[in-house]
Amino acid sequence: MWRKGSSEGSDRFEYLQTLVTEFQDTDSEEAKEQVLANLANFAYDPKNMEYLRTLQVTDLFLDMLTEENENFVEFGMGGLCNLSMDPECKDIILQSGGISLVTNCLSSRREETVLSAITTLMNLTTPSSRSEITDPAILQCMLRFSLSESPRLRNLATVFLQDCCSEEQVQIQSEAEKCWSVGQRGPAGQFTWKIREETIFPIKC
Amino acid sequence: VDGHVAVHPHRKYEVYKHHEQRKVCISRPKYREGRKAKAVKVYTINLESRYLMVQGVPAIGVMTELIQLCALYGVVEEYRPLDEYPAEDFTEVYLVKFQKLTSARAAKRHIDEKSFYGGVLHVCYVPEYETVEDTRLKLQDRRRYIMRAAQNKANEEPTTSNTAEKIISRHDQMPNNDDTGETSNISHYSSFPLLPLPPQEHYYHGYKNQYGTIPTEDKMGTLHNATICTKQQPVQSLSFSQTSSERERGTEHRLTPNQAPAVRFVPRTTHLENRKRKMEEAAEHSLTVSGKNEPLIGPKLPEPPKLDMDDESLNTTVSLIRNAMKQVEAVPDVKPVEKKMKPRRRI
Repeated sequence: MWRKGSSEGSDRFEYLQTLVTEFQDTDSEEAKEQVLANLANFAYDPKNMEYLRTLQVTDLFLDMLTEENENFVEFGMGGLCNLSMDPECKDIILQSGGISLVTNCLSSRREETVLSAITTLMNLTTPSSRSEITDPAILQCMLRFSLSESPRLRNLATVFLQDCCSEEQVQIQSEAEKCWSVGQRGPAGQFTWKIREETIFPIKC
Repeated sequence: VDGHVAVHPHRKYEVYKHHEQRKVCISRPKYREGRKAKAVKVYTINLESRYLMVQGVPAIGVMTELIQLCALYGVVEEYRPLDEYPAEDFTEVYLVKFQKLTSARAAKRHIDEKSFYGGVLHVCYVPEYETVEDTRLKLQDRRRYIMRAAQNKANEEPTTSNTAEKIISRHDQMPNNDDTGETSNISHYSSFPLLPLPPQEHYYHGYKNQYGTIPTEDKMGTLHNATICTKQQPVQSLSFSQTSSERERGTEHRLTPNQAPAVRFVPRTTHLENRKRKMEEAAEHSLTVSGKNEPLIGPKLPEPPKLDMDDESLNTTVSLIRNAMKQVEAVPDVKPVEKKMKPRRRI
């Protein structure tokens, strides 16, 4: 795909711009999915970060997180997972209120979407965003993932708990989790997780 | 190892969705068509892994060959057959753990869908075999790599508002990522392996030194010659330094006159010219030294074995016939042999 044009940066930029334009103009869901996947994969290469930022693809991906089409959500989340590795993109995502949008993806029933969301949250962790990202509701979620039967989910959630949270936070949360898992999901007024135990998240408390 | 696995042996080899080969997408418009037909799929670091699963290996005892093939792309730390993993009839499934993610990436790119002893291999990442530490390191490496890429860019490029300029300089200032172990992410889309460089001739080194720092045309008026010019890179202006990643992508070189391509192509005619010259020198040399007039062509062929026919008269006949044949051969071309042999050696 790269080789279609010359390797001139401007060509690359134009190509990406064409993709974004097609995404905006087309009415075909299928074409949108393809372009979205393309853009998300382009976000893997650090060379494209700046172009994608310029084209506001960060916002495009964030928009996808609230779509009904699950492919849109998965690809958009994948794109954010790739982009959020870049410090500048990270700032843009944080400024656009990305944390809550990404957090919502933790309850997706697609494992790939959940994994992208966890990695993105880790990438978004900064001294100032840490408190929001280690919110008790998210911790609770991660604790459950860390007991999941899926090794990938288990591993990634474990890394999150070990690297992004303090030990006390985890301790407190797992105590609380023990109480909650008996009855309901969480205390009234708190974020409620649409967790589907029967699919991938067994509760072993 | 894992308690859970021990308790549920039937779940040990779960077939995850990402193991499946997805259907390729056939509805892409021309401008979005890649070289290879591919499925609509998004790759993230979560999906990648230094653990690969190779399916479709013919069950004919070719494990060693498979691992040798894998080892072409990097150090293999561990491997084993996944006997319980559901496999097609007469095929086996293997788990291969590379030392580095980049090796696994290269191996996957090159081995997937290749035929192997009559079977077609399907290679996929199997991150579910990672340990927590594997996963952590994988993410850390990736973050570090992206960070470095961003820093390199920021250091070398004072912010300008001109997009076009930015784009170009940016492209040229890709980090030299040889050491990060992250080189091949760029090559997600490249589909063939790098060939080793052609062997260099001594004569050529002279040529290189002579012209090494001048990244311009050669005598033939072309930029294409096949010396690696890595050594001359520091001499050039920074903005035009080639990076390893670009070299890896091969076809993406921009051959503008004020820029030295990292890998140069030598036209075959130049090679031949050089070889001819060398040969002529060698021939002259041998002529003066040996004093004989026959050109030195190489190791002499072994003399025809002496036949022993177990009979005096038969032996005499054989030697007579041989002598006669030698004479017949020798007479017409005492001189032409010399001249004819030279062009032959050039090939």
